[in-house]
Amino acid sequence: MKTYFDTGNAAMVEAAVIAGCGLFSGYPITPATEIAEHMSRRMPLAGGMYIQAEDETAALHICIGGALGGLKTMTATSGPGYVLYADPYGWAISAEVPLVIVNAQRVGPVSGITGAPGQGEFYLSRYPTHGGNFETVVLAPNSVQEAFTMTVQAFALAERFRTPVTVLADQLVTDGYASFSVPENDEELRALGLRVVPRRAHPGPDFYPACDDIDIPPVVLGRGTGAACSDWTPTEEGYDTEDTVEHMRHARRLIYKILAHRELVDRYETCGMENDPDIVLVSYGSPSRVVLGAVKEARRQGLSAGCIRLQSLWPFQDELFRRKADYLVVELNADGQLAREVERAARYPVHFMGACGELPSAAELVEAIRRLERGEELPPSTDEREIR
Amino acid sequence: MDYLAERYLRPRKIPSTACSGCGLGQVHKKILLAVEQSGIGTDDLVWGTGIGCTGRQTFNTWKGDNFAGTHGRVYAMAVGLRAALPEEKKILLTVGDGDAFGIGLSHLLHCARRNVGVTVIAADNFGYQSTGGQYGYTTPQGFVTDSSPYGTREPGWLQDGADILDILKSAGATFLARHSSFEGQKAVDSIEKALDNKGFSLVHFIYPCVTHFGAVGLNSRDNGKIVRWFEELFSAKNRPGRGPHVTSGITHDARGSRPEFAAALRSRTREIREGRHVQA
Repeated sequence: MKTYFDTGNAAMVEAAVIAGCGLFSGYPITPATEIAEHMSRRMPLAGGMYIQAEDETAALHICIGGALGGLKTMTATSGPGYVLYADPYGWAISAEVPLVIVNAQRVGPVSGITGAPGQGEFYLSRYPTHGGNFETVVLAPNSVQEAFTMTVQAFALAERFRTPVTVLADQLVTDGYASFSVPENDEELRALGLRVVPRRAHPGPDFYPACDDIDIPPVVLGRGTGAACSDWTPTEEGYDTEDTVEHMRHARRLIYKILAHRELVDRYETCGMENDPDIVLVSYGSPSRVVLGAVKEARRQGLSAGCIRLQSLWPFQDELFRRKADYLVVELNADGQLAREVERAARYPVHFMGACGELPSAAELVEAIRRLERGEELPPSTDEREIR
Repeated sequence: MDYLAERYLRPRKIPSTACSGCGLGQVHKKILLAVEQSGIGTDDLVWGTGIGCTGRQTFNTWKGDNFAGTHGRVYAMAVGLRAALPEEKKILLTVGDGDAFGIGLSHLLHCARRNVGVTVIAADNFGYQSTGGQYGYTTPQGFVTDSSPYGTREPGWLQDGADILDILKSAGATFLARHSSFEGQKAVDSIEKALDNKGFSLVHFIYPCVTHFGAVGLNSRDNGKIVRWFEELFSAKNRPGRGPHVTSGITHDARGSRPEFAAALRSRTREIREGRHVQA
């Protein structure tokens, strides 16, 4: 293993190189610009291409074009660019094109605060385009090392599922510095639980059969197969159609190829859950690092607490929230997006602590756990006290 | 078209579902004649399409490989595809005026700026006809359409001294031509040259829509009358200031004058990889 001391941005770039990325296209945006900058240096040295796009819509379309030509491709952005991906994201989902999208979340809506971490695209990553009739695959790292491993995994999942995969990070993960290990051979890659899935090409002119199978090679153009893909509803033969039954077949494939193999995506970590805690903290990304410290401290103080950290966000892991407890969801936003989803999945009380661009302190979280255990109301956050 | 259709098109897609009297079939045929003239086989060319009458009518008609982009973005997709495909594979895009000169203009200009090796056939029926006949960006000013019941108020890209082909030339396109769908061999020759260009080519075809532009804009579904109006549009009698006017023929031929985008990107990548690159 080679050890680097660098940012999450740099880690994701190294991951892309190892995964065999052949084309990166992006548009400068804080805090994801560094990924583009690193890629502009790194891609040519690895034999790949860096194409700076005229806007984010073009960036993802360029990635689609590259993927259709047989390359593994990647783009990276933040919220204002992620929303511009809506158009090509839908194309890639429907035409079943493998590619990797990084979102370094900042504080929104719109430009908001460029240099502070946010978690505002939890639901947008579930519905990144219009029209419905699909599932998405979304991974969420909370460290520089995980930014590396999840990017390698994202490339593998994209290939296997024939779909875009979002790595939903936040500014603390992407801009934060830490040591991280990069495997130097296949054995070391496997030791990290990783694999590289090579790009293959669909052999025939047909599109995909109406089934839940994964590992079907994606459509590649320019190989003389007579392949066709488009934004229209496809028949199995690759023709465009307005037949609703055909569309239903297509929609079921988009949904169930992911749901039927979701064990390949589902990932989470827990702490203290074996003791059947009364209070369960739920988080993903950067807040989970404070949550873990707070739960350990609460347990040291004799409080009945545990935590669940989601490493994959979509498909949502409902079954993690079946146990009887008070759930406390901690997020980098004021509207409680993950909290809303936990509320849907859990049959027990769900509480929410969130702030814009600022992590809670471990002390605040321990105090919250104490209050919940006593059946008291949660205290207002520091920001809320200032607002009042 | 029979022998051309048999050789180059998918039987399931012929005949098309275009309206009776539509000029798009003539444009489609000229593309195939130029393909035949160039000696291009079905494996040599990937055919992409935009959204609208042109996109829908030409998508997946080609016996080789096909793709259809989102509205106005097929130029950006072509940038990535061009980078991934071998140099000898041609990329042809058939798109409409709304796609190229409206929603996709930014991407089209950047594609020209990069001199991406694609041939764009912009088939222009003066508005959004597949959505029922709204005005576009080449619709002559003052014309009545379904979204301009009192006549269009905005100037278009083909009047008051403006010409969309001049804009594309300034952007960096290396081959540009304009024809009507009624023209014959000259138009075919222009497409052949466009396909021959290693860089960015665009051939602008103006063709009549009988159902909307004819019926509403020209107040007639009579094909003869409509064709005569379009011929007048190109004729020298209608000089600027005396009505809508466009010229036909090759307006810019700078083939080989600039490096093609993907070829340059590939050679630059090789140089950097081998440590031979020099900073400009």
